[in-house]
Amino acid sequence: MTALNTPAPARPATTPPPVPWRRLAWVSWRQYRTSAAGAVALLGVLALYLVIMGLRIRGAYADAAACSLAAPGKGCVGAFMLFDNDYFLIAETTAAALLAVPALTGVFAGAPILARELDSGTFRFAWTQGAGRTRWTLARLALPAVALTAAAAAFSQLFGWFFYPFFAGREFAQASAFAPIYFTLTGIAFAAWALAAFAIGAVAGVLIRRVVPAMAAALAAWSGLLLATLLYLRQHYQAPLTARAGQTSLSSWVIGNWWTGPNGRRVTSEHQIIALLNGGVHRGYAQWAIYQPGTRYWHFQLIEGGWLLALSLLLIAATIWIVRRRAA
Amino acid sequence: MPPEGQRGPGSPIEFRLDAASGVPTYLQLVQQVEHALRLGYLKPGDQLPKVRDVVASLAINPNTVLKAYRELETKGLAAGRPGQGTFIEATLSQVALPELATLHRSLLGWLASADVAGLDEDGIVALFSSALRDFFDRRGGHRDSRGGASAGTEGVA
Amino acid sequence: MNVIETSGLGKRYHQTWALRECTLAIPAGHVAALVGPNGAGKTTLLNLAVGLATPTAGVVTVLGGLPAGSPAALDGIAFVAQDAPLYKNLSVADMLHLTGNLNRRFDHGYAQERLADLGIPLKRKAGKLSGGQQAQLALTLALGRRPRLLVLDEPLANLDPLARHDFMAMVLAAAAEDGMSVVLSSHVLTELERVADYLILVSGGRVQVADEVDGLLARHRVLTGPAAEADRIAQRLSVVHARRAEAQAHLLVRTSGPADPVPPGWEAHRVSVEELVLAYLREPGAAALPGPARTQQAQPTEVSR
Repeated sequence: MTALNTPAPARPATTPPPVPWRRLAWVSWRQYRTSAAGAVALLGVLALYLVIMGLRIRGAYADAAACSLAAPGKGCVGAFMLFDNDYFLIAETTAAALLAVPALTGVFAGAPILARELDSGTFRFAWTQGAGRTRWTLARLALPAVALTAAAAAFSQLFGWFFYPFFAGREFAQASAFAPIYFTLTGIAFAAWALAAFAIGAVAGVLIRRVVPAMAAALAAWSGLLLATLLYLRQHYQAPLTARAGQTSLSSWVIGNWWTGPNGRRVTSEHQIIALLNGGVHRGYAQWAIYQPGTRYWHFQLIEGGWLLALSLLLIAATIWIVRRRAA
Repeated sequence: MPPEGQRGPGSPIEFRLDAASGVPTYLQLVQQVEHALRLGYLKPGDQLPKVRDVVASLAINPNTVLKAYRELETKGLAAGRPGQGTFIEATLSQVALPELATLHRSLLGWLASADVAGLDEDGIVALFSSALRDFFDRRGGHRDSRGGASAGTEGVA
Repeated sequence: MNVIETSGLGKRYHQTWALRECTLAIPAGHVAALVGPNGAGKTTLLNLAVGLATPTAGVVTVLGGLPAGSPAALDGIAFVAQDAPLYKNLSVADMLHLTGNLNRRFDHGYAQERLADLGIPLKRKAGKLSGGQQAQLALTLALGRRPRLLVLDEPLANLDPLARHDFMAMVLAAAAEDGMSVVLSSHVLTELERVADYLILVSGGRVQVADEVDGLLARHRVLTGPAAEADRIAQRLSVVHARRAEAQAHLLVRTSGPADPVPPGWEAHRVSVEELVLAYLREPGAAALPGPARTQQAQPTEVSR
């Protein structure tokens, strides 16, 4: 049998040492660089806005608060109402818009990582290198996941600072940090939702294999999950309490309220409502609220953060498992 | 640009390939070395182009070059020196120039007769190849393992 | 050592078998050409060998018994897929760093020398290179890993003749220098004879031919003679493919060697790789595999006027 000059010296067939993580981290960073830059730019712009607007709000709040110092005990309903008129709408709208941040950054970071490789065929290069596909996938996912979560955590701190004047205890505090949207933007929930968006994006990317459809699907799934949490899940982390309306503290989350009639039962029929409206409060009608007390805020944050983290880790593990099983 | 040519530190010749000739590649290389020896381009002691260089410029299989060089070794024309390359060891028996001229003239005469008899070029080649084979077969002389010369016709009824 | 060894290897995608009952042993130290029509199963076979796909049936091992796709196998095999995939938005230098960081062993000096020879600028984005340059870059990255086996899937498909020549020259020079084995697939037959010394012919998901080129050419020849005697000859000899006219027939036969006697009244011609491949492709039932021969008496199929 003819053979070339000297076939390469037989190297021992023992398993070679794995490629070090440091090197894989470079790979992950290098390929993540551009989208990271984009995300940083976007967050930077938003942060700048929050800082500028936040400073204005705090200034106006200080002015309103000065009124109550000047005339203690009189209350400064007027001053605070003016303050709310001017600034609450902006703050509220900002908050609603910020809800999109964890969704978009997570999905935009997570989905393309695997979708682009599979769509463009570069996985045929990446998965035949010495490092192997498992380590490669782990490195490609871990770095952006950690960076994204850290950035989101920092961002939610900024938001907390921004919105503080509206949370602070005062006669006409307009908002509770426990309210659905604000709860999602503060504490650790924001970071957890960003990580979840990333993980959902990653698994969508490896399943759908095309960038834009994967992002769309991930966005839809994340939104559905958020909606389900806001409307149903979160209320039930702990059994809610019931009390007379108006007796709940300002920092609690009032989930719903209802009226009871003189007979102690819920007001449901139309003519009872009419009677109520004709001054029924003095005839034995009472308003009740079902709520979560403000003291449970951090407890709930930990629960939500916890299950979102678990879900994210599960989805990332699933992504890696799918990568291992994927045929060409 | 890729390095052109196969001149290592000291091979006087370069190979070329005739893809359409029907002659196996390794045989073309052997023939080119023998031809170069006859014409004086190569002398004993000269180095043949390095295998890697031949391969890089002709884009042929390395084993083909190795086979050609082994064939030359078998014929006693070349020898490999480990770590250095393959070198020409001997030369082909030289035929003196006047004798060559005489042979050339008598060949032209024969060709004239063949032409008169009605053979065309291909017919002449076929006849000559067959006679060549017969001659060396009878003589028991060296034939390479592929059955020699050009168009590969191996047996005529 | 066999660089790729398969036993009853098969791969099914949904309901179709892309590859079936593939049993091969490609020895080291060769440039093996995997040849066959489009869709024959070449890419499937290569994907199985480099670990991009897992078998539905059978076994594939590489580099002397390592499981395909295992860390040791990935370490020793470099693969360039069809269309030479690269990260288009990374620069050439970045691709070098990337490959270096994804492997235990990478010869940066060699790679940079090759790129300099080829005139490929390090700063340019990979996507901005020409098709030929991209193929060369992908090849350089693969060779820089100093693999024991280089696997190429249709590497020459989009290259012009000069680029093809330069590409193969680089592959063969590396094979000559390091003793690296090569397995490459192609559906273009020209130039194969110069480049390959081992031939694997795949058609319809099955392997028809797997043997050294020298041996194949020594054991096949074309017999030309009277058409009337063609059937009689076919009884005695193993005919792969026959072409007949009214008076004359050409039979591509498989013999036991060049010394096999030529039937009286017939001429024997040397067969080229291209002719051999085409003949087998026209006869799906024929096979020339080392070991127990599957003798197929081919029926004369082509009648030329």
